[in-house]
Amino acid sequence: MTMFPKLDPILHSELRLAVMSILIGVDEADFTYLKKQTGATSGNLSVQIDKLMAAGYITVEKGFKGKMPHTTCKITTTGQEAFNKYVESLKEYLSASK
Amino acid sequence: MEKSNEQNKEMTAQESLDLISEMLNNNRRCILQNSAKHFILWGALLLVFSIVIYELLHVTRDLRWNLLWFAMPVLGFPLARLLGKKGTVVPQNVISGQLHYIWLAYCAFAVVISIVAMFEMPSCITLLLVALLGFAECSSGLLLKNWPIIIGGFILGVGGAVVALLVRSEAQLLVFAAGGLILAATGLIVKRQYQ
Repeated sequence: MTMFPKLDPILHSELRLAVMSILIGVDEADFTYLKKQTGATSGNLSVQIDKLMAAGYITVEKGFKGKMPHTTCKITTTGQEAFNKYVESLKEYLSASK
Repeated sequence: MEKSNEQNKEMTAQESLDLISEMLNNNRRCILQNSAKHFILWGALLLVFSIVIYELLHVTRDLRWNLLWFAMPVLGFPLARLLGKKGTVVPQNVISGQLHYIWLAYCAFAVVISIVAMFEMPSCITLLLVALLGFAECSSGLLLKNWPIIIGGFILGVGGAVVALLVRSEAQLLVFAAGGLILAATGLIVKRQYQ
């Protein structure tokens, strides 16, 4: 199985990539939706969301919906650019390996 | 994506692209399922209102029962809002935003045409409203790239308009009932398709 270390290390992780792939296609998504779509545990998802936020790829808004805590994530322009660059690199890598 | 402790593992290029594709498809499926719920709701409302108003007009011969149509958006919008809050909140994207505006435009057309019709009942009002309804559904299908919705909208709009030309008086309300049935059936088909 071929691995490639030069890709963006923030995106080149299964759960973080899944979160970014969801956020690239929507205006914003809440934590529950991300958890349901990725099948991740709350703890792991929180950690990966924090990493994406620290990289400036997403913004996180924490608030309340009624009495329940509500977290919303949104991709940033930096995140969109990084994601597009990552996809382009993947395509280049695949075409080069053919 | 399966639940696993290896969710932070490194992947091959192909695995990464597959994962991106899977997530994008899941998003699309969620948006379609959400749209299907709204097709079912509005279809069912249209069906019920058409039959109730048809019966009332048939029994009483009082055209004022047509005013009941205005209760449909009054009841429908809070129900749609409630439906949107039920379960996991489906995120919005460009397509769902455009769908929202298509149906809002249809609603505005239908309400204004109905208000005008209160003063001067045109013979083609059913044809106009049902053709617009079919157009809105067909446009939604094209945006969502979903054939059952496109075909349902075409049958509703074109078929409904033709039948509206053939039937007279309160029997035209049954065209709306059939339209409601098609709308709800389309929603059910899409819901099953993406379950």
